[in-house]
Amino acid sequence: MQLAMTVFSIVLGVTIVMALAGILIDRSAARDERNEDR
Amino acid sequence: MDPTHLHLLLNHVPTVGFGIGIALFIASMVARSGDLKQASLVVMVGVALLTIPTYATGNAAQTNLQDRGEISDGSNGGTVTLSLIETHEGAAFLGLAMMEVTGALAWLALWQFRRRSTVSPGLNTAVLVLSLATMGVMAMAANVGGMINHPEIRGTTEVTTFAGHFGRMVGDYVRDTPWTWITAETLHFVGLSMLIGIILLIDLRMLGVMSQVSFAALDRLLPWAMLGFAMNTFTGMLFFAAAYGQYVNNPAFFWKLVFVVLAGANTLYFTFDRTWALAPGRDAPPLSKAAAVGAMFFWVGVMYWGSMLPFIGNAF
Repeated sequence: MQLAMTVFSIVLGVTIVMALAGILIDRSAARDERNEDR
Repeated sequence: MDPTHLHLLLNHVPTVGFGIGIALFIASMVARSGDLKQASLVVMVGVALLTIPTYATGNAAQTNLQDRGEISDGSNGGTVTLSLIETHEGAAFLGLAMMEVTGALAWLALWQFRRRSTVSPGLNTAVLVLSLATMGVMAMAANVGGMINHPEIRGTTEVTTFAGHFGRMVGDYVRDTPWTWITAETLHFVGLSMLIGIILLIDLRMLGVMSQVSFAALDRLLPWAMLGFAMNTFTGMLFFAAAYGQYVNNPAFFWKLVFVVLAGANTLYFTFDRTWALAPGRDAPPLSKAAAVGAMFFWVGVMYWGSMLPFIGNAF
């Protein structure tokens, strides 16, 4: 059970970090598109 | 040609090839040339892709030396010490990790350049600093690697680098700690889902499916696919470091590497494709459709050979 919880916590942690990185890149792309529209 | 030959051929790519990429990158900054910048970033991404088989064939070469009794155990008359090989492997493993991060940033810079004809100053600096640091570590790995088959430059004292036996340390940790392999395996599937899901979606749109979806919207998904690829590259490195014996003589693994490099090259084509500028409802040109078919074939191939590791080869 402890092993399952350890694996789950790390997978969740890494996935959240990856999601944050993706969101940051996407926000920057959205900003570029807005600037281009102006 | 066996993997040892391949290693001797490929090991110039992360040093000489990457040096050319850095030189072009610096020249692009001095000359303020967008074309040079794109060329340098393509070289960097290409080198990052080819560094994966370069590293993998290194362990195959080590196994070859071991089988031929050329690694000294104190009594077999071997001419090379295991410590020297593991010092080379340590620097190479650190270099590979840094190279993959540099390659990912170089790809991001290419993607950004296509969208706004410039690379942000922060990303530009990150690519430059990281590529120079990577070059330093790769040169160190190459120097120690050269000593393995060149006793004339080896000297008499034991060779060490600040990376120590990093590759073995990580590999042994992954092999001996219960949670690491399972965690890496789960993350490998998360990365695979992100990568293949997005790539197939884009390929289907290129082929005319969901024609009302704009290419510009799908273009915004590409960095997510790259994050998935990065996750799979790093978890793949952990599997390989932990159990390279299962992979180095495994034909499915070498085919998987071939397909990864071809799929990566195909993705590079899409970084330049003009289809992204087309309005919703417009059809992609025939060349883009052909590249999309190629992408589907290569990525499904990567998954196929990965699944075949235990069945065609001798893994697990």
